[in-house]
Amino acid sequence: MITFQKVTQTVTLFLFLALLLFAAYPHYDGLAVDFFLRLDPLISLGTILATRSFATYLLPGLIVLAAAVLAGRFFCGHICPMGTTLDFLQIPLGPRRKPSAKNNTYEATERFRSWKYLALGFVLAASLAGVSILFVGSPLSLATRFYGLVVHPLLLLLGDSGLDLAASWLPTWLSADLTYVQIAGRAFATNVFVAMLFVAVTALVRSQPRFWCRNLCPAGALIGLFSRSPMLRRNVNDSCSQCGQCIRKCPTAAISENPAKTVYSECIVCLECVRICPESAVSFSTSRNEPAFSLTPDLTRRGIVLAMGSGLLSAGLLRTGINQPTPRGKERGLVDPELIRPPGALPEADFLTRCVRCGECMKACATNTLQPVWLKAGLEGIFSPVMVPRLAACAVNCNVCGQVCPTGAIRDVSIIEKKHAKVGTAWIARQNCLVWEQDRKCLVCDEVCPYNAISFQPVPGLRNAAPVVIENQCSGCGWCENKCPVQGASAIRVNVIGEIRLASGSYIEKAREYGLSFKTKEAALDRLAPGTFDAPGTSIEQAPYSEPSGVQGEELPPGFMPK
Amino acid sequence: MIEKPDRREFLKSGLVATAAAVAAGTVGGIFSPGKSFGAEMPDLVVSHGLDPAAITRAAVDALGGIKRFVKPGNKVVIKPNMSFASGPERASNTHPAVVSEVARMCAEAGASRIAVLDHVLNEPRACLKLSKIPEACLNVPNTTVSTVEAKRLYREVQVPQGRQFKTMEAVSDVLDADVLIAIPKGKSHSSSGVSLSMKGMMGLIKDRISFHSRYSLHEAIVDMVTVLKPHLVVIDGTHILSSGGPGGPGTVIPLNLVVASTDMVAADAQMVALGTWYGKKFVPDQVRHIRIAAERGLGRMDIDKLKVQNIKS
Repeated sequence: MITFQKVTQTVTLFLFLALLLFAAYPHYDGLAVDFFLRLDPLISLGTILATRSFATYLLPGLIVLAAAVLAGRFFCGHICPMGTTLDFLQIPLGPRRKPSAKNNTYEATERFRSWKYLALGFVLAASLAGVSILFVGSPLSLATRFYGLVVHPLLLLLGDSGLDLAASWLPTWLSADLTYVQIAGRAFATNVFVAMLFVAVTALVRSQPRFWCRNLCPAGALIGLFSRSPMLRRNVNDSCSQCGQCIRKCPTAAISENPAKTVYSECIVCLECVRICPESAVSFSTSRNEPAFSLTPDLTRRGIVLAMGSGLLSAGLLRTGINQPTPRGKERGLVDPELIRPPGALPEADFLTRCVRCGECMKACATNTLQPVWLKAGLEGIFSPVMVPRLAACAVNCNVCGQVCPTGAIRDVSIIEKKHAKVGTAWIARQNCLVWEQDRKCLVCDEVCPYNAISFQPVPGLRNAAPVVIENQCSGCGWCENKCPVQGASAIRVNVIGEIRLASGSYIEKAREYGLSFKTKEAALDRLAPGTFDAPGTSIEQAPYSEPSGVQGEELPPGFMPK
Repeated sequence: MIEKPDRREFLKSGLVATAAAVAAGTVGGIFSPGKSFGAEMPDLVVSHGLDPAAITRAAVDALGGIKRFVKPGNKVVIKPNMSFASGPERASNTHPAVVSEVARMCAEAGASRIAVLDHVLNEPRACLKLSKIPEACLNVPNTTVSTVEAKRLYREVQVPQGRQFKTMEAVSDVLDADVLIAIPKGKSHSSSGVSLSMKGMMGLIKDRISFHSRYSLHEAIVDMVTVLKPHLVVIDGTHILSSGGPGGPGTVIPLNLVVASTDMVAADAQMVALGTWYGKKFVPDQVRHIRIAAERGLGRMDIDKLKVQNIKS
């Protein structure tokens, strides 16, 4: 049976997944791939509270709240991809105990209802204290993270395995065209934890349909607060035979023991009761025959105070941990040297406050270097993005992480600005380096450096010139660390040294102020017309040492032997 | 080992075709080492001119034409340099017109499949786009330009003459190809001195890292080319990357030539001698892998003793 709800849910889930798929490099300007995340009212309100500021991109979530006054929790029943996913999983998982007209009334299922309000109080209290833990409860953060970091890599693996199979099973003339179709897989740290959190939430449909939406979802609670007496109401006329079908079928058990009465803070306007009623007694309209029936869950003042109090306390606990970006009374916090944030990430404290851990930047990252971090950034930083250069380096001409970030935790800056948003500096672990330690010939780090930030210098006691980092030309992109041929830990590693984190203003100007010079090899090339000579020194500015384009006297260039 | 019916078969067919000549006792040229098609065939062609496509075609024609190498229905693999996400001006990738012209000639000779392949160093899509090689080959029949990353596209191959290793993983299509053509850029290389046809074959194997970390690079290159031995080499010397190679930027010098040969060692040696590297001139045996390859009998680097044909177009 194709119902209105199934249509809207299919369309919106498809849109959600399509936009998530388009969160990739290259990014299409004007395509708001983060649109669904911005619809989440919890993300909007929580971010506004935590950052004490408003930005227009947070407006859609507030519009969803305003719309709740008109149509209740329509968002939950038709748009939220989490709700759609739960409805879908319900088909195979179903509740153990079949809902009946007796056990599926609002009154009979009231037991856990208040939890979502407590969760809302907890999360928003933490936001009030300036700590964002929205990611534990935001349904859009949960769903985006799950589909982007767990489902998408699985599908890629499936596709790649399919190609492997095709290569060995299909006849050559059929598989020839597929030969060089290659699917680059993606891998994410903490993917098991992301999956487990999602499974834990969805597994609850074994107990009740949409258990999450009924009892736990703080965004649902927030919308519920605004839909206690919506314009669009459920009306039951006199032909009702009290058969209880509507009660039995209601996915959120929003109907009272008296089937004419509806708890609008729970009703997701799925219209199942309208469809199922054998007497056609149920309709939704804006007519107001009687005041909205209101049943509030077992929500005590004590409970609210406790929830909000523990939210504040948790914020305090997080903010007194040793990984705090700005601990009170200290100039700076204990920063893991490998906590390399994406280029354009706000200053750490602002960054953590804005980041909702949706994983959109990691899904979109051109090279897969952006990874959800587990505890490296402290408990508060779970699932926030970090660059892992040994796994993959940052693509020079890509700024997609900033373009897809729904909350501006990573700034949406131009490519040229992004190139100046230094994320760290490479340093050479000389004990690991083939040249420094074993006097072997190797220049891979220089070969792959997009910024010419490695120079090779003659060193007394070594036959081979040894690599040295020109730190004011190093952007921290990590190509050297990634491609270093030493097995295990790289002999050249990026640390947060010298990262530029700006809340506003130009990275180019700041880099100039710091005496940094980021000239990508491509940029240097722009001054190289075909057939002309590259004047020495023009492609590298402010270089304390530049690779000679000519070799003086009897000295031999790299790789050549005496006659 | 790629078995390509080049020299041996040509010698055979040459034998038949010139049976009368043999009888007449004019056979000397045929049996000379390093020569393959009678006395009139040069060992090396240096083709000068400003149009990359035209000098490429002229060079191959001077070597006996593409039909000498590619038979109708043959599967051809072309190995250019397209490892870097940069345009032709930087001279770290092969000039697209040189690659597409060779591909076009192969298509004209009736090749059933022409695969332009490289296991690139930079981001594959960026390499393909910026190198402009796919763009140049777009309208060449039966031709595809691909980067090679997936493990399934490689297989292990014995390296019987290997001194550093006895097996390696190489691109399956290369091992199965009828013809392998190397079209490297003439460029300097910070580890191997120059990167020409022999060093360029590292773009057809899976694990290059060991070449730098586990093996002696030059010896390993020579081990590799005992198996990945191109049947035809066309070195792009339209512009050479004289310093700052392999990725650049560095000094780009226009030489306006291509070097072609059936002998990879001779072609590389000739390119070393023709180019100026880091502002200096070098003789071929100053590049260790060229010297080792010659010593191991894989080709000749004594270019002054080879028949070199200079042509202009």
